[in-house]
Amino acid sequence: MNTDTQYLHEVAASDYEHGWVTEVVSDTIPKGLSEDIIRLIASKKQDPDWMLENRLRAFRYWQKLEAADQRPNWAHLSIPAIDFQNISYYSAPGSKPKYESLEEVDPEILRTFERLGIPLQEQKLLAGVAVDAVIDSVSVATSFKEELSQLGIIFCSFTEAIEKHPELVQKYMGSVVPYTDNFYAALNAAVFSDGSFCYIPPGVRCPMELSTYFRINEAGTGQFERTLIVADKGSYVSYLEGCTAPRRDDNQLHAAVVEIIAHEDAEVKYSTIQNWYPGDSGGTGGVFNFVTKRGICLEDRAKISWTQLETGSSITWKYPSVILKGDNTKGEFYSVAFTKGRQQADTGTKMLHLGRNTSSTIISKGISAGRSSNSYRGLVRINRKADNARNFSQCDSMLLGDRCGAHTFPYLETSNPTAQVEHEATTSKVGEDQIFYCKQRGISEQDAIKLIVSGFCQEILAKLPMEFAVEARKLLAIELEGSVG
Amino acid sequence: MTTSTATRSPAETRLIEAFYRLFSPSRNGEPGFLRNLRNEAIDCFQSLGFPGKKDEAWKYTSLSGVLREPLTVQEQCDPPASVHGIAGLDAHTGVFVGDTRSDSLSSLASLPEGVIVSSLTSAPPALVAAHLGQHATISGRAFVALNTAFLRNGAFVYMPDGTVCEQPIHIVHALTGAGATLAQPRTLVVAGTGAQLRLIETVEAHLSGSSLINGVTEIFVGPDAHVSRFEIQDPANHISVVSTLDVYQNGGSHFQNNTFTFGGNVMRNNINMLPDAEGCETLLHGLFIARGHSHIDNHTLVDHAKPRCFSSENYRGILDGHATGVFNGKVLVRQDAQQINAYQTNKSIVLANTARMYAKPELEIYADDVKCSHGATTGQLNEEALFYLRSRGLTLSQARTLMLQAFARDIIEKVPLQPLRDALDQRVAAGLMH
Repeated sequence: MNTDTQYLHEVAASDYEHGWVTEVVSDTIPKGLSEDIIRLIASKKQDPDWMLENRLRAFRYWQKLEAADQRPNWAHLSIPAIDFQNISYYSAPGSKPKYESLEEVDPEILRTFERLGIPLQEQKLLAGVAVDAVIDSVSVATSFKEELSQLGIIFCSFTEAIEKHPELVQKYMGSVVPYTDNFYAALNAAVFSDGSFCYIPPGVRCPMELSTYFRINEAGTGQFERTLIVADKGSYVSYLEGCTAPRRDDNQLHAAVVEIIAHEDAEVKYSTIQNWYPGDSGGTGGVFNFVTKRGICLEDRAKISWTQLETGSSITWKYPSVILKGDNTKGEFYSVAFTKGRQQADTGTKMLHLGRNTSSTIISKGISAGRSSNSYRGLVRINRKADNARNFSQCDSMLLGDRCGAHTFPYLETSNPTAQVEHEATTSKVGEDQIFYCKQRGISEQDAIKLIVSGFCQEILAKLPMEFAVEARKLLAIELEGSVG
Repeated sequence: MTTSTATRSPAETRLIEAFYRLFSPSRNGEPGFLRNLRNEAIDCFQSLGFPGKKDEAWKYTSLSGVLREPLTVQEQCDPPASVHGIAGLDAHTGVFVGDTRSDSLSSLASLPEGVIVSSLTSAPPALVAAHLGQHATISGRAFVALNTAFLRNGAFVYMPDGTVCEQPIHIVHALTGAGATLAQPRTLVVAGTGAQLRLIETVEAHLSGSSLINGVTEIFVGPDAHVSRFEIQDPANHISVVSTLDVYQNGGSHFQNNTFTFGGNVMRNNINMLPDAEGCETLLHGLFIARGHSHIDNHTLVDHAKPRCFSSENYRGILDGHATGVFNGKVLVRQDAQQINAYQTNKSIVLANTARMYAKPELEIYADDVKCSHGATTGQLNEEALFYLRSRGLTLSQARTLMLQAFARDIIEKVPLQPLRDALDQRVAAGLMH
């Protein structure tokens, strides 16, 4: 028992791998938030007028919420007061905000991504993953654009999408997550500076994984990116997202918005490995990850699947959701959330069943260590007209230590008698009998715990695309390294 | 969260005024602790006000329609001609008219020695002072505060150490009145070390207006004591109920609560268990059948404050018509409360597409060496089972009733008293008739 505890304490105390800073000249605007700042961001981004109006509308709405103190405070989190005037809302590496090709990118930035394990050049050739990399506020490189465009796939930075495909952006942006959705969505709509845009034309099956990598580099900045994915009729795309940030003593804010639109027969698979800087073991620093992610199965037989591995951020507030609007649509949510140190996570999903014969699956695994708090919060709503809706939810929590918390807050709302809704949840610790069994077979205590924990998450990790699954397993092993005891 | 006079709702203002009208002259012969309890409670209620939709605990249940009625606080209550009781049940029956025991309606002659079933005011003051308001705390709880603010008398049950009451004790709250009434029955139960008690609580309300019954029961379960409680709620459709149960459990004790709810307007049960020492066993069972426009909300909390305890919770509901069902069950395991086994299930059947079910089973766990689980399902009757029964010659309605009765019996069979079980079976059958 003692050595067991010791090892768990070590895991809880382990270090953050991506804590270094890239030394590159950056163009960061002054801290603060006002209409002038919004106009400044818009002018830096060379926004068209309609975009600026969108921003100002969202900003005024946000101001109203801020004045009425409408910050979301219902989650099981203790969030320190954030001074929104003490954040710089735009930061770009280098002075040139747009790049035509990889050759123009500052070599220091390319090295940054290489250190993060995303060799843009190499990956371009070998892995066949198209990458859009966003550092601080702007997109620095998008690979594989040529190959994708031959299929009619648009995969570019949001800035480029506004410039080249304004009709698509105007049609879809804010259609799933309107700026009125919540406090942080309003903030994002006002100040977002870049992100990724992806459009898959009818009948096209995207031949490679599309990937975005986000990194916050500058101190005192927030990252506010937007991702918009539109899958037209009968198309398919698998999308990956990864994130890291340097180690800093102050908290950084990440308030992103992701919107997915799946048309008839389309399928979108969205996978995230979230590894923002979690703060040190005493709870100093770290990224506040307040993200709104939502997809809509707009027409019949569409399918959206969210898979996430949450290991970073000091505070996570994130509920990737699916609106099942069309008939026979499917929504899935697979999640592993690992918290240690003084991390807090309140994450889960919403499945809103509107169409007939819709089905949703929720599998959530929470692992808490150290003095962390890990909550699952999920809503399943079956509307009156959603005949034959089906939902299955399973939320399991594992506690590695006696000073952490694991919580489950499911909301099941059923208004249709033909619905079948099932929810189950368990909370327990690593079984002593399981550890004993492994030790008896010559496996050390540490390895036994790693084995058991990775077995606990296996179901979710198996849902990740190949490249990610390897990274996820590695990440989880590193995370465990310092927390099992 | 202080409600200033400006934002106070008419219902709140009316009740606060009623308090000062009733209690500002000091009442003769009352013990001081009762006055203090009341004064603290009205202050608490004034600062809290009634909970609204923004309160997470009241997210799915609104009493605003009920509170819009000009409720008058019941001061005097006329005794009914008779009380029904439960057919065939051999019990010690204590009938409380309003808040005072009626000697003519009660039958308590054969109580074992030392056992007390009386009005609070005629109970040993030291016992009452030691427990009243100690388990049903008012902080942050508007309805308990409101009940306590108007507390003058109530039902009191005392089981001395080591006593065993073979026959159950049945507490009947008989409430009569005209117009929209706020009736607030109160019960205090104290079971000493090793005492054994089965307690039935029912309300017989003859209230003509759309009234609200805001009842509070607090139970102290001594070390190694065994207490089972059965509450049957079956009010008319114009009556709403907020019923709060607070139980404090000592080491090695066993407590079982069973709540059966049929009908009523807005029904809200707040059940809070505090097993505050090692070796406690806590069982919570509930069955609700909601039809018409009934709204039935069961809110439970098992607060595992100490290690090595067991709790199990099983709630079932059947919803038809325009009814709404809510189940919010929370298991809280505090830090260092190791080796807790806590289980919870909630199953509901929705029969009509105008009925709704909201389930929110929660786990909040701060200790690692625990086994906790919950499961919740919402569904309908199995088509194949219905088909099987019909192929055996049953009509569709017979087949449905049979299956629903079987579903309900899972909870009813937890009742160890045959006559009560029969009465519940009959009530369920009647409630399922189409």
